[in-house]
Amino acid sequence: MSNAIDQTRRMLSLVTYLRERPGAEVAEVARAFGISERELIGDLNVLPMCGTSFRGGDLLDIDTDGERIWWHNVDDVAQPLRLAADEATALLVAARAVAGLPGLRERDRQALTRAVAKIEDAAGESAESSARVGVTFEAEGQVFADIDRALSEGRLIWLRYWSHGRGGMTEREVDPIRLVTEGHTYLEGWCRVSEDRRIFRLDRIAEIKILDEPANPPRLQPRDLSAGLVSPAADDPEVVIEVAPAGRWVAEYYTHDAAEELPDGGLRITLRSADPSGLRPLALRLGRDGRIVSPPQPAEQARLAAIAALEHYRDGAAQR
Amino acid sequence: MAIAKAERLMNLALCLMNTRRPLSKKELRESIEAYREAWQQGSEDAFNRMFERDKDDLRELGLVIDVDENALDGEIGYLARRDRNRLPEIALDAEEAAALTLAARVWQQAKMSGAASGALQKLRAAGVPFAEEREHTALEPRIPAREAAFEPLLVAARDRRPVTFEYRKAGAAQPEQRSVEPWALECWRGHWYLAGYDRDRQDARVFRLSRIVGKVRSRAGTFTGAVPEHVDVRAYVSRFAGEGATTTATVRLRRGAAFPLSTRALATRPVDPQWDELEIPYGNGLGADLAEFGPDVIVIGPDDLRADVIERLTAVAGLGE
Repeated sequence: MSNAIDQTRRMLSLVTYLRERPGAEVAEVARAFGISERELIGDLNVLPMCGTSFRGGDLLDIDTDGERIWWHNVDDVAQPLRLAADEATALLVAARAVAGLPGLRERDRQALTRAVAKIEDAAGESAESSARVGVTFEAEGQVFADIDRALSEGRLIWLRYWSHGRGGMTEREVDPIRLVTEGHTYLEGWCRVSEDRRIFRLDRIAEIKILDEPANPPRLQPRDLSAGLVSPAADDPEVVIEVAPAGRWVAEYYTHDAAEELPDGGLRITLRSADPSGLRPLALRLGRDGRIVSPPQPAEQARLAAIAALEHYRDGAAQR
Repeated sequence: MAIAKAERLMNLALCLMNTRRPLSKKELRESIEAYREAWQQGSEDAFNRMFERDKDDLRELGLVIDVDENALDGEIGYLARRDRNRLPEIALDAEEAAALTLAARVWQQAKMSGAASGALQKLRAAGVPFAEEREHTALEPRIPAREAAFEPLLVAARDRRPVTFEYRKAGAAQPEQRSVEPWALECWRGHWYLAGYDRDRQDARVFRLSRIVGKVRSRAGTFTGAVPEHVDVRAYVSRFAGEGATTTATVRLRRGAAFPLSTRALATRPVDPQWDELEIPYGNGLGADLAEFGPDVIVIGPDDLRADVIERLTAVAGLGE
């Protein structure tokens, strides 16, 4: 259900919109406003209770038979309204951010840049506070452009990809599904090697080829990304990490189930991971700022790796 | 049954827009059923509070409401002048409209996403030709704002209101109270940062929103310092994240290993069949980045970096004190 503010905002635009379109179709109007037909009917039930003049009597005579919408006493109150500061900010910040996305098609970038200038013009002083908010998207422009092309041509791609957890290069064939940017840019695709949906970070793609073979990803429900890009499965093994205050960043970077405060100002973080041994790099990075408590493998692998690494630094070691 | 708030707001907006002269509070109360009800069943006070809140809400939606202090024989009058509330002519072509549709979808935060769709609705009502079918559904730029502090800071920066909040500095065991005049918000690598004037430290500071503990409280009064024309939050944050380094480090890398490091190399030369020597920018946090690769990396210099990595590895090896 939408809140009263969003609904009021929408109804104000709705009357302007309906004024120009006598007999507008319910389905079309709902689509145009990005709402369900039920929400629209809800708005249409409220509008006849709203009046355009004081001392009553002059209510909006808007009705619908469920298919079409009629406004019988159209008047000129329904002028297009200026943009609010928040509206201008939301639109301009987003448009500038997308325009700055490396690898975006040049045509789209130019269209956005033109649109930004026009919106700034029309918004006037409402546009001012948009300068107080900035968003930077990052992507490897050439890789982004290649994947964008593969997506629009519907073709399979071949990747040489750095697997961070395994600490090595892998080669895979991937049916691209979408490019998601949240800070960094990621390719979501169907990995033919693991026969599963996978997320690939663009800055870890060492090499990419667009193959002649058509992409044919299985029909999948789009994943809900609202909690983060990595969504562990319910039956993935549980991992417990204890960090000192200096390791609290782990809770900001890893999707977790629980983060419990520790007496020293640190955290006990519980998360799930399909492949806990892939947390070896994290154990090494944490150093004295934290440790992976369970399962024991990542910490043990990190310990052995650290011992091997320290060998390089022993007096008289060959590398120095 | 109480009349829904949206209906009340809509009536107030229409009344204020449709009048040529300022209307008094009393006139509005008599015209709008919800107000009459609140006044009859509640009190003068209840009505007054409701009216003030509603006016604020409509202003949030962009309505310019003029207040005429002395319009009606000493009574305050209100009106929303048409010329001040009309969207100027805006001509967007189909390509520009499509690009904006993509952009309006990026906000993952309720207030901003509501505002972005509200903007599109106003533009659409004004005749901008937005297409029904969505192109580019395979491109999904997203701006998250999961941090609870985002919305109150956004409003405070917009309205130039000082705030206080509890802030836990990186690595600090306990949060401490900060008193800040918020200037600008910046999202970088998916995290939000605030730049502002720290009243206690009497200097500009940058805060990471995820380290704000508890509520952001708005303070009475106005900014004491000037807001800089241009606030480069990103430059500050990226420097802290190790970018823009001016010195370099020399490391050896097992060939084919640690791809993320090799992409940072300014120069690479082979040492023997197994190892390459790389020159990489030496910014903040490099020691942790290098330790991650365990035995595939050897730090040659500088000495402080080498010592940092050895110390980290010693801790992980369990060979520390």
